[in-house]
Amino acid sequence: MRTRGLLWLNAVFPILPVALLASATLEGRVELPKSHSAPVQAKRYQIVTKGGVLSTQPPLAVVYLDGAFPQPASLPMKQVAQKDLTFLPSLLPVRVGTKVEFPNLDDTYHNIFSYSPAKRFDLGRYRPDERPIPTQVFDKPGLVILRCDIHEHMRGLILVLNTPHFVMTDTDGHFRLGGLPAGRYTLKAWIDSRTTREKPVELKSGETLHVDFP
Amino acid sequence: MKLHAFSLCVFACTACAFDVDDVLDRVDTALTISAFQDNLRARLSGTLDLEIYNFEQPAPGLIDSSIDTLFNPRLTLFLDAQIGSQIYFFAQSRLDRGFDPSNHGAQVRLDEYALRVTPWEDGRLTVQIGKFATVVGNWVPRHLSWENPFINAPLIYENVTPIQDKAAPISPLYFISAPYYYGKYAFNPVIWGPSYASGISVSGQLGKFDYAIEMKNASLSSRPESWNVTENGFENPTFSTRVGFRPNEAWNFGLSASEGPYFRREAEPTLPPGRDIDDYREFVLGQDASFAWRHLQVWAEFYEARFQVPRVGNADTFAYYVEAKYKFTPQLFGALRWNQQLFGTISDGYSHSVRWSEDLGRIDIAVAYRFTPHAQLKLQYDYQHETTGPGDDNHLLAAQFTVRF
Repeated sequence: MRTRGLLWLNAVFPILPVALLASATLEGRVELPKSHSAPVQAKRYQIVTKGGVLSTQPPLAVVYLDGAFPQPASLPMKQVAQKDLTFLPSLLPVRVGTKVEFPNLDDTYHNIFSYSPAKRFDLGRYRPDERPIPTQVFDKPGLVILRCDIHEHMRGLILVLNTPHFVMTDTDGHFRLGGLPAGRYTLKAWIDSRTTREKPVELKSGETLHVDFP
Repeated sequence: MKLHAFSLCVFACTACAFDVDDVLDRVDTALTISAFQDNLRARLSGTLDLEIYNFEQPAPGLIDSSIDTLFNPRLTLFLDAQIGSQIYFFAQSRLDRGFDPSNHGAQVRLDEYALRVTPWEDGRLTVQIGKFATVVGNWVPRHLSWENPFINAPLIYENVTPIQDKAAPISPLYFISAPYYYGKYAFNPVIWGPSYASGISVSGQLGKFDYAIEMKNASLSSRPESWNVTENGFENPTFSTRVGFRPNEAWNFGLSASEGPYFRREAEPTLPPGRDIDDYREFVLGQDASFAWRHLQVWAEFYEARFQVPRVGNADTFAYYVEAKYKFTPQLFGALRWNQQLFGTISDGYSHSVRWSEDLGRIDIAVAYRFTPHAQLKLQYDYQHETTGPGDDNHLLAAQFTVRF
């Protein structure tokens, strides 16, 4: 029994460290823009007004490794919910081909739509308890701006990327992107619809490279 | 020339739609300010409407123009401000050629301003004071150009009747024949547009029911000049109410009522001796319903109205419309509306009963395309037919290009 275990370890050991050693890591910080104030909700013609202040959504950036990477057979489903009349999360990076569902977690109708060239759709009005939850497949790279036809102040973003190697920064702009293949690439930091910074990087197996986007 | 200018604007705006869209999104962000850790937030927004109407004389609805092709630009600015979660203020100001489409010169107005207090988070009670749209019916939430599937209002909100608020009729025959001799703006519809009269309202939600009660300085039929508190005080207030029932998100039903004197102060010398403007009132009963699911929205309103007319008696009318909007694609939608108004009879003073205005029906067809979330083009055709009397027809063609920022 013990011998069989050692044999199994002998078989696996040569593969595992190689896989770990072959991957590179990127870390650094992106200079984020100043925080926007929370949106103002237009309630002029609502007979029923409920209280509540919409929360401020801090700016975040998406850092990704640009390059040609093989497309997997399937991708996990992602979610952008509508809760308290805002999109959660407000920014979602996904890989091309990802299906995203849009559950309504409020007690009112929402009507999510996008006129962005990367994905043009309109889900129509749907209730919180409606099943199946409306979904869309994002099959072209680019920025998709989500809006609600009923609640004018609502804004959400889906960044559709061609790469599997992406990560969102924290609210201070810090990021860490692991499991990267060695080689020469361009590292990009998407900050907003008009600002994407980029830097060439050379990744070496087992190394951690520090890159800042000032 | 005006048509060329309109076409040029539409072309210019659509040619660079997506660049303009990005700029307008940034303008939106730039026009939002906040202070005190986001507890005070304000946003300036607006719409620019370029409208062209082509119609037969007399101009239909509340259009006040002696020329058949009318160019009607309008700039609307909104201010929305929130202080914490309980206080909300809004104002609407317009630069245009008149509250209703007209060929007059430019004017600037403060059409709406109101302060709203919501003490509890669950929305059980809201108090609002200022100059704001009526709580009656279900058309008000979609009366602005961006939300309205059509360019004009339903018939009940714009069809002028023989009712006059500036002078009392001298006889029943004068009452029914006066519209043929005087300008349309001497007369009133049952409800004048969104009725931005001044006053106070209390509203809220209790489970599946919602309620709203308002006290305003002018009746539903009153003209825009009467809505200003400087023009018309609260000596003869109008009370209106609506009770709504929403069994689920798709359906909404409402019952409305309104009651108040409809004459302006200058009509007093024309009233019968010993009578006051408070003696002649407008009563309105309304029922509304709406349905929405996915890309379909349907609305309907039914109104019964009674005017107490000096030297005539009660003048009754019934009006309704059914309106549907369907989004064919994310950017293209169509809308269809059937309107009808029927008039009761009055005694002509010679023992005959006569209808006090001609019954009429109107069908409205509109198609709209949203180039971006900030730019929209609507085209509309109306056919109006009198179903009694001479049976006059009227055709209206209209186009409206809206930029929202």
